Amino acid sequence: MDTVKIYTNIIKDNMDRPEKVDKLINFGLTSAYYYVSFFKDKRIPKSLHYLNKYSIKSIKDSLANPQNSAWVNLFAPSEFLIAMDIKPLFIEAYSSFMSGFFIEDYLVDTAESRGMSNTLCSYHKTFIGASELNILKKPKFMMTTSMICDANIPTFKYLSKKHGVPLYIIDIPYKYSKDAVVYVKKQLLEVAEKLEEVFNRKLDTDKLREVVKTENKTRALMREYLNYAGEKRFIPTMTFEMYMLFASHVFIGSKEVLHFYEMLVEDIKRAPERSGKSIFFIHLLPIFEKNFKDYFNFSDKFHIAGSDLNYDFVDEIDENDPFKGIAEKLILNSFNGEINRKVARIKELIEKIKPDGIIQFCHLGCKQSMGGTFIIKNLASEVGIPFLYLDGDCVDKRNNQEGQNRTRLEAFLEML
Amino acid sequence: MIGYICKYTPVEIIEAFGEEPVRLESGYKSHEHAEALIHSNMCSFAKGVLENIIENNIEEVILTACCDSIKRLYDVLKDKVKFIHILDLPRKKDPLAIDLFYNEIIEFMEAYQAFKNKNFAEENLLKILESKSFNKEKQSAESIAILGARLKDDVIEKIINSCTANVINFTCTAEERVFNIEAKDNLLKSYAESLLNLTPCMRMAEDRSKLINKELKGIIYNTIKFCDFYSYEYAELKSKADLPLLKIETDYNDSNSGQILTRIDAFLESTGIKKMEKQRAKKGYFVGVDSGSTSTNVVIIDENKNIISYSIIPTGPKALESAFKAFEIALNNAGLQEKDITSIVATGYGRVSIPFADRIVTEITCHGKGAFFIDNTVRTVIDIGGQDSKVIRLDDSGNVIDFVMNDKCSAGTGRFLEVMARTLGISIEEMAKVHKEVKENITITSMCTVFAESEVISLIAQNKDQRDIIHALNKAVASKAVSLVDRIGRKGKYMMTGGVAKNQGVVYAIESRLGEKLIIPFEPQIIGALGAALISLEGK
Repeated sequence: MDTVKIYTNIIKDNMDRPEKVDKLINFGLTSAYYYVSFFKDKRIPKSLHYLNKYSIKSIKDSLANPQNSAWVNLFAPSEFLIAMDIKPLFIEAYSSFMSGFFIEDYLVDTAESRGMSNTLCSYHKTFIGASELNILKKPKFMMTTSMICDANIPTFKYLSKKHGVPLYIIDIPYKYSKDAVVYVKKQLLEVAEKLEEVFNRKLDTDKLREVVKTENKTRALMREYLNYAGEKRFIPTMTFEMYMLFASHVFIGSKEVLHFYEMLVEDIKRAPERSGKSIFFIHLLPIFEKNFKDYFNFSDKFHIAGSDLNYDFVDEIDENDPFKGIAEKLILNSFNGEINRKVARIKELIEKIKPDGIIQFCHLGCKQSMGGTFIIKNLASEVGIPFLYLDGDCVDKRNNQEGQNRTRLEAFLEML
Repeated sequence: MIGYICKYTPVEIIEAFGEEPVRLESGYKSHEHAEALIHSNMCSFAKGVLENIIENNIEEVILTACCDSIKRLYDVLKDKVKFIHILDLPRKKDPLAIDLFYNEIIEFMEAYQAFKNKNFAEENLLKILESKSFNKEKQSAESIAILGARLKDDVIEKIINSCTANVINFTCTAEERVFNIEAKDNLLKSYAESLLNLTPCMRMAEDRSKLINKELKGIIYNTIKFCDFYSYEYAELKSKADLPLLKIETDYNDSNSGQILTRIDAFLESTGIKKMEKQRAKKGYFVGVDSGSTSTNVVIIDENKNIISYSIIPTGPKALESAFKAFEIALNNAGLQEKDITSIVATGYGRVSIPFADRIVTEITCHGKGAFFIDNTVRTVIDIGGQDSKVIRLDDSGNVIDFVMNDKCSAGTGRFLEVMARTLGISIEEMAKVHKEVKENITITSMCTVFAESEVISLIAQNKDQRDIIHALNKAVASKAVSLVDRIGRKGKYMMTGGVAKNQGVVYAIESRLGEKLIIPFEPQIIGALGAALISLEGK
């Protein structure tokens, strides 16, 4: 029996003792952090190694300080949290880590036994399960946007009611207009007020502006990175492309993330020229799916050329009026609104990255993603790049049909 | 005609244009056209609407950006119909949200005006709104609420017709359109505001707890597969549970299926608001016929509740013939003739098609009744039959107070075990033997019968011991059954009924999960029919 399995079994045996499980999870994260720190894998570039440590630490920090923490979703504007030194915990990341610890099945079953639908997204169910078992200590505040994912509002409403924790829902219109910006800006001003009240500290507007400036600098580097992504072979495993969501979303605007992108650009410049076949991913990467792990992690033949989720906003934010700027950023996200926006962004990205193939892994329950599959397939055929979509689950491994997916994935890779 | 879906659609504007707004339905069993355009795992309501639009050549459609599925429906339909418009629908209703929605309505009007080449007359809108301003809801002493995702009109109608209480439909198919037309200086804006003030659906930011009123006799909670919004509210209601609550989960199109109507009927029976004639039966012999999907069972009792005879036969392709045959066998076994029988109650899937029955009662009530009669310490009945499994909670007097059923697939039922036995190339009897010694503790991860079958095939290919595979399958069935138990909470003692109770391996696996012995009646397959016979005797 391997160490992870032993660890998983100990957690599962103690599920009725939330305090102990909380300690065990903290132990797991701490061990992972030190493991990464002391046993550097030479195949991993310095920047990604830094990101790996940063991501683990950010989860640890928010779990260790629930009184200075806010639960958010991937798209929530955490610029305010960064400016006020509040630690965000985003549900997608927490659930991925729990899947990494192999306890997502238990947490999903718990959520389902409390009444959650079995067709609901497993990122949400895993998080709800952990919260139901009180493994997760309640935070001081919750903040979610309404955009892109239907599950956000009900998940946060449910958790906020259950724990009696204040929640702010930022309603993001589907269409962009001046009125829409005014509507969101007003809500962002309310969020700031609410944060000041709950955490009993002031939001320094200059500090917020500083965060936005850092975010703009970071995005400039992100664009620069993309200039090389078409020529180099760089991302060694799927996990790193997913870790990049920490940097491109929830923690963007922090000094650490800026530092990460500075290193990233330097690293990709030095990376080997592209060889083998490159695959561009739509939306998510199935980091725990065996076939994908076998074919893509540390592979010479096939490599990961990016995913559109890391580039859902690549423009500059108005530094003079950060509230308005952030409002615009949220509404103009390429995953928000009509699918044409998303298609246009994918088109820009594949023109730069020039992948040999495109894969969309349709995460069970994610309707915004799978609903557009055939439209993206059409785009791929227009630009003449082979496209494959597969169904499965990025968190709950029980929903992955490995045998079926293997045949399809292999046939697709052979086709390239 | 212009098709719409969402109750927040400005249908009165369409009427003011002199056009006919039609709420689009999704009644298709097959999604042949839809699944060529959109992923098959999308919500089946959205797929059904897409099928409807394509099949019936609907040329004009207005949608709202209400959920991810409908947004994608818009993307897919965009170049396939002559006119399509999507309205952004704010989730809040403060003045800025109202402004935003007002602008959306204006934008739609301009687009529709240009498409139809027709002018919009505000006085027409005013007239329409005035005619809708005094719709008052019927008041009744007793009410039940239908909450959750949209429920089909015909199901709502069936509920209204089969219960004595007032039915309040809070789902998206409710037509409660009452408007504030006071502010005539800006009619459209006040109309936009009124729309946003309709009973909030789950996607709105507003708290919906005000909809739940303690006076209600019960709540029927409808959820649709792949519709994210509603299971949360159900989970919340369930944990508070001071009102009788029934959850139904459908893929929308099958919400009027026999199984769902059975659950609704049983719920109405258990809350005491089912319309039924009550009369005491005379003396003589009483029959219960349980027409199940796999077996048809008949029990005859006398007026002192003694079981005189029973029969169990497989349900053939014709349920009615099997019922006649089983009835005949039971009569012969008892040495009775049809004229000796005072009354007959039919239950089970095929209960509606048994012409010789005097009354029909759901199998949930019957199983509860039968189990409690056999052993009055039973508080939880686990019934696993050929096609479905259910868990029934009884109170101290044997009344059904809660129940859950599996979804429409056969995961974790007798059928599941039959398929697996066939895959393993053994008989169902061989499969039912207990193998307590396990070489390797295998776990079957897929609960779906089809996927689990391929998993078993690969285990066979890996040369795994057959007994270990059977053990794994028994565990899978037990896990499904215990998760059903957990949905209504654990409470002993437990009785297991239905054909699968004869499978010792499954019984053993459930017992080890529950940590408690199961009571297995002498003939687990006749408990539903026994309950029906008892109801026939008691006449209520």
